[in-house]
Amino acid sequence: MKNSSEPKHHKILIANRGEIAIRIMQACRKLGHAFVALFTEPDRHSEHCVLARKLGGEDSLYRVSSYLDANEIFAVADQAGATAIHPGYGFFAEDYRFARRVVQRERKLIFIGPSWQVIRELGDKINTKRLARKLGVPTVPGSDKPVTDDLEAEHIAKSLFDFQKEQGINNPVILVKASAGGGGMGIEEVADLDKFRSTLRRIKNYAKRQFRDEGVLIEQRIFDFNHLEVQVVSDRTGQNPVHFGTRNCSVQSLGHQKRIEVAPGFDPSSLRYAFDARKVLEDITEYSLRMAREAGYDNVGTWEWIVSPTGQPFLMEVNTRIQVENGVSARIATIKGKGDVDLIAEQIRVGLGAPLGYSQKDIALNGVGIEYRIIAEDPDNKFAPWVGRITSFGWPEQEWLKLHSQVPTDREYEIPTDFDPNLALAIIWGKDLAEAKARGVEFLNALKLEGVNASGEALKSNIDFLRRKTETILAF
Amino acid sequence: MIDVKELLRELREEPYEKIVIRAPHSGKVEFVASEPGVRVVGPGGTWKEVPGTLLARLEREQVKRPINAPQKGEVMSLGDVQNGQFVQAGQELMTIRHFLTKEEVIARILRRSLSLFLAPEKGKYYFFPEVDIKIKTKGSQTVHVEDGMELFILSRMKRETSVRYTGPGGIIYAVYFETNDSVDRDAPLIGVCPESQLGQIQEVVSRIQSEWEERD
Repeated sequence: MKNSSEPKHHKILIANRGEIAIRIMQACRKLGHAFVALFTEPDRHSEHCVLARKLGGEDSLYRVSSYLDANEIFAVADQAGATAIHPGYGFFAEDYRFARRVVQRERKLIFIGPSWQVIRELGDKINTKRLARKLGVPTVPGSDKPVTDDLEAEHIAKSLFDFQKEQGINNPVILVKASAGGGGMGIEEVADLDKFRSTLRRIKNYAKRQFRDEGVLIEQRIFDFNHLEVQVVSDRTGQNPVHFGTRNCSVQSLGHQKRIEVAPGFDPSSLRYAFDARKVLEDITEYSLRMAREAGYDNVGTWEWIVSPTGQPFLMEVNTRIQVENGVSARIATIKGKGDVDLIAEQIRVGLGAPLGYSQKDIALNGVGIEYRIIAEDPDNKFAPWVGRITSFGWPEQEWLKLHSQVPTDREYEIPTDFDPNLALAIIWGKDLAEAKARGVEFLNALKLEGVNASGEALKSNIDFLRRKTETILAF
Repeated sequence: MIDVKELLRELREEPYEKIVIRAPHSGKVEFVASEPGVRVVGPGGTWKEVPGTLLARLEREQVKRPINAPQKGEVMSLGDVQNGQFVQAGQELMTIRHFLTKEEVIARILRRSLSLFLAPEKGKYYFFPEVDIKIKTKGSQTVHVEDGMELFILSRMKRETSVRYTGPGGIIYAVYFETNDSVDRDAPLIGVCPESQLGQIQEVVSRIQSEWEERD
């Protein structure tokens, strides 16, 4: 997909860590660009540091005090002669102020992601909701602005309880969400209006600690839903968005953290649904592209959807960034008949200004992809993270398997506690759902993951949970 | 009961602390105090509002961040860094020899006298909001803790869990962690003094006040 008119010699600073840093390095190499990687002290043994030195040499790796210190990132970018910044999928990826600074500072750089105006428009859950409503796209009933006033919050909560009762819902429940949150962080349910105040106080405190913003959103809790996503890609013109199909991310931990993602989002060819699943998938892709066109969306992004048991879709939010699970959509896609699609490379390519170079009719989706998030955690104890040393990590190579990880396979590795607990992403492909599931279980059975913590206890992981959940994926 | 005499003897043998000054972040360093033997002072004023001696400046994004001496002492040695060089976060810039003050000696001895509650896991610790407000407004020594009391919020890997205090009941005599700092497993979080031993602890404090001689 490389275009001969593209600038050739970019140096991209990777403002993130772990497996996404590795994938960005690999994409840079594929596209012929240099890179600069960062690491913090707790990450010094991460495989992303090893690979940075191996692919780019000692000068391609800088130690920083934090992945979230913008000034420091810019100082390194200048010192290293970077021409662009890729934020990975960290906090900077959806921070329009950071994106704006990248392109407006004295020594201007390219931001690999949507333009800051687009992030400002769609990165804000409230604006997104308003835009969706304007375009006739269904959204979850609830507040359409961040609420900071406790009395106003209580009033909204009460009206949502009343609204659900009017709908005939016997046990109404609402969600209180940190408006600056994302990725399932800072969300709690309230089933009893009397407990609303304490939940509100807890979420506001959490939001203040984690995001320095105590605004909350209050929404109706829709039960037994499926969580679907639409992967969108567009170039800097913002006029030609295409989609790479849908994903189903309904297998989650108790804290709304995704554990298995499947592409496509439903499989009506082998499973029965109580609604027209094909139409739902068509509807959400059409709605997503409608919004992308209206907003002038100009890079990769994900439209996140809730689908109710009766097949009613509601837009939840737009993630104006590459997501962890991008690889599962790429795995089932071909562009102009060519497979091995790399959405991160596509993001960099269009981010640097290259035209998309294809349209929706050039994209085909084949088979079923499953992504497993391999995590050291205890599913029987509220998915509590397990912290310790990994002593052994390995898996048999398969042509239908891709595995991305920052955990080394040739030495022991202490899991840092400063970051999210993902150890690896495994992406499995099958020609249909049955084959993908069988291969998924084969992979999980063969995966070797061992470790020990400071108390001498053996590593706990979610592998059994993933295996169990594989049986019922995409069933609804 | 703790042997204060023995502890004081140990401290008198090496009455100073070596403080390694490291680059707090990446940037270009410009030294100000760059000679071994230079005397420096730490932050002063009622609220420590007067910064310590300027040791160096670290520039990033055209902003020069001062690096001030955190304590009184003298420059012992310099790191292997040239003036104007780009340094990475954590790189050693210099070492200061700091002679212990009475308060620091007290803190060191208290750490061995109080009942310490250690961090059960590595992560960031916060007091429960109600306790936090009380500590901020009235001081930690107004907070009484009991075995089993939910006292901390542990934040790690983007998750938060509550942590119960285990140990003897008493008042929080000392707090050993800062908000937003990552605390290692088994590092002390608080030092608790049972009300019945408060008199003994205060006796230790007054003894050090009278016996320890501070060096300039």
